[in-house]
Amino acid sequence: MEADAIANLALGILSGVATLVIISLGLAVVFGMMGIINFAHGEFLMLGAFGTLTGVRAGLPLGVSMALAALGVGAFGLLVERLLIHRLYGRLEATMLATFGLSLILVQVAVLIWGTSTQGVPTPLDSFTIGRYSISEYRIAMIVAAVALLVLVWWTFTRTRFGVMARAATQNRDMASAVGINAGRINMGTFAFGAALAGAGGALLAPVVAVAPSMGGTYIARAFMTVVVGGPGVVSGTAAASGLLGSVQRVVSDLSTAFVGTAALLVVAIVLLRVMPTGISGRKRWPL
Amino acid sequence: MGRELAIAVGIAVGGFVLARTIPEFRAQEWTQWVVYGLLALSFTFIWGHAGIFSFGQAAFFGVGGYTYAVVGINLIGSTGETISAIVAGVVVASLLAAAVGYFLFYGEVGEVELAIITLATSLVLLTVMSSTAGPQYRIGDAQLGGYNGMVGVPPLSYGFQDGIPMPVGIADMLAVFIALSAFVVAALRLLLHRPFGRIVLALRENELRTQLLGYDTRRYKLAVFVIGGAIAGLAGAGYAAWGTFINPTVFALTQAALVAIWVLVGGRRSLAGAFVGVVVIQALTSTLGGTGSTATPIVLGTVLIAVVLLLPGGIVPAFRAGLLRLVPRLASKPAALPAATVAAGGSLPMGERGGRRRPGGALSSEGLRKAFGGLTAVDGVSAQFSERGVHALIGPNGAGKSTFFNLLVGRYRPTTGRVRLGAEDITSRRMDQRAMRGIGIKLQVASIYADLPALENLWLAAYAEDRDVRSADRRALAVLDWLGLRDRAHTAAGELSHGEQQWLEIGMVVAAQPDVILLDEPTAGMTREETARTADLVRVLGEHASVVVVEHDMDFVRRLESPVTMFHEGKVFAEGSIDALRSDDRVLDVYLGRRSVAGAR
Repeated sequence: MEADAIANLALGILSGVATLVIISLGLAVVFGMMGIINFAHGEFLMLGAFGTLTGVRAGLPLGVSMALAALGVGAFGLLVERLLIHRLYGRLEATMLATFGLSLILVQVAVLIWGTSTQGVPTPLDSFTIGRYSISEYRIAMIVAAVALLVLVWWTFTRTRFGVMARAATQNRDMASAVGINAGRINMGTFAFGAALAGAGGALLAPVVAVAPSMGGTYIARAFMTVVVGGPGVVSGTAAASGLLGSVQRVVSDLSTAFVGTAALLVVAIVLLRVMPTGISGRKRWPL
Repeated sequence: MGRELAIAVGIAVGGFVLARTIPEFRAQEWTQWVVYGLLALSFTFIWGHAGIFSFGQAAFFGVGGYTYAVVGINLIGSTGETISAIVAGVVVASLLAAAVGYFLFYGEVGEVELAIITLATSLVLLTVMSSTAGPQYRIGDAQLGGYNGMVGVPPLSYGFQDGIPMPVGIADMLAVFIALSAFVVAALRLLLHRPFGRIVLALRENELRTQLLGYDTRRYKLAVFVIGGAIAGLAGAGYAAWGTFINPTVFALTQAALVAIWVLVGGRRSLAGAFVGVVVIQALTSTLGGTGSTATPIVLGTVLIAVVLLLPGGIVPAFRAGLLRLVPRLASKPAALPAATVAAGGSLPMGERGGRRRPGGALSSEGLRKAFGGLTAVDGVSAQFSERGVHALIGPNGAGKSTFFNLLVGRYRPTTGRVRLGAEDITSRRMDQRAMRGIGIKLQVASIYADLPALENLWLAAYAEDRDVRSADRRALAVLDWLGLRDRAHTAAGELSHGEQQWLEIGMVVAAQPDVILLDEPTAGMTREETARTADLVRVLGEHASVVVVEHDMDFVRRLESPVTMFHEGKVFAEGSIDALRSDDRVLDVYLGRRSVAGAR
């Protein structure tokens, strides 16, 4: 293999890994901190993408549209937590079923608002070439953004008052309440933060994918597998699982076809869980 | 058994007559409902009865359908029938369930992980099957067809007639599937009343206790999952035969959601309710204009959320409960019990020990150490308990006594060190394997089957011992009488008083007839009188088995007149009689906090 092909493959793997981080980080925050799974996560991504699209169509700069979309989805997540999730704490199955119902509703509402046809946001930035390969600068930007989001989550949970309280509540709810941490508040904030990250994920994807009401379903399976393989450690688990699964998917896809790559992802995830049922970070006891 | 089969035959005959009296378009619609009902039934069985919350039923349904289509298209020309294709659908779906289930249950993944992986399996199948549009994706004569799916799937056929495959008419197909469903329901009902089914219900109620009694719960869950996969596969094959087509939408999220909604509406515990749930929801969606209409997903999603929030038990069971309140005569009554053979508090109903593998010998530990992260809860404990008699463990809170017990029964794996039973090293044995070798435990917080009758709690413990229904019936009743709880036989264990629950759990340990009995604070929350009775009981147990008791109550320990081991900071701190320990200054220092040992370190 020649140098330019190697560079291209490496970039391909990196951007595959970055995509997994982008689509699963919000889910991982909610799972790692609250122990619940939001089955409407794919629709939160979709809302982030449509939010960006709407912003760009309204003439706002892309960056501003993305930020507004992330904040908007975060606010929506806050609402969902208050109206739905918060009534179902301690009922794991009920939470999964209710968010599943929410997912069905959101897809259909999106169809009613934006229609079924796929739409797109023009890809910003230029492209450059490495040897025979042309590489889009936005792909590099997505890799940078994935790292930035991981750093943001790490910073939030280790350096802010809210994050430290949230981790305390995760470790020992009763003790946290006893020292005056309002667990209800923390859950509300954590869920909204997860939703905002999902919104940011959708916003980042918007320029490179077909934006459609059903797009959540395209990503949700991969996001789920990344989160369960990663385990409860939000940053370490997401990074490790994305790195592993992203590489597997990319390499298998290159050797075969894309759908075989997705199938390989599932097989790797299932086999890994047999060995480490609590995920990579659960096995290694990584705290965050 | 006769009754269940008679009902199934009755429904089958009724279905046959009904199918011939209704117009064809009705038969068409109802066949689909019955097929969906089977799919819902598979989820009711694994979720409602075994407590396995999986979104994988849609995957097994779709795989059953695709297998039917592939095998049917390839064989119809040479055999003229599609029965073999139905069988193939069931087999392939069960194999997939076995493969996925093996990794999930033997990996012992959590509830969330299981739900996610099963849903992801379905979604990955959606991606894979949607990508098979090219002409190269064919199996024999069958073209997989990508997103558009497979066409030209043969309908249900029995064989050649005058040289051409003879398809079954829609009325007959409805009759066939009603009969199949009736027999599957009857078979599941019978299964649930057999020991297998009773153990499955038990593991749904309290998996830890089931393992501690000696059942390998992974095996039971896998078996249930495979049965569920087989039924879903049968439904899928029926679906492909009914519609003569199949496409990847059977793997889509909407399909997985529908299964959950049907079962939620019909009630997750009711086998017949699965069919009611399908009829209610499908009738509703066809009124709204079918699954393709824009309003349908919104209504389905709203139903899902509303049922979860407002009627978690399901709509049909709520209705049924209301009916039973109005007409109490309809409620079924438990059968009468045979006359008592054992007097309450009389001699211990132990002795006739069954055939399980018992290495015998005393329980011992060697350098046992358990660290949780930076905290070492048990730090190098070597202890030897005698084959008969009582041994007390004392020590302040956090001394590592309960962790030590959990290491002995296999709930935790030690960081280093060994556990032996007689000559056998059991350090790497699972909880159920240790139980089968004759170790029984009563946990600190009573671990019983709160929703099951008291007698059933004891039966499950007794059955674990020799896997003999009659002997278990007899011994469960004997222990119940001995506990003096005969009049509470059919009361849910969770409704017993606190003391009675503690006694019931001790009774469960006794019913399993172990050689080694571990009791973790058996008198917690008991009155003085109950505590005194328990002390006498523990001494009696000591005549039959090796009994190790963790207790804080010093009067209780004194009554036992047993050797005492004191734990402190994860280590054996002192050993001897209770009086010797009481006069030991170091022991008093630890208990009273004088000259704090922590400070002296």
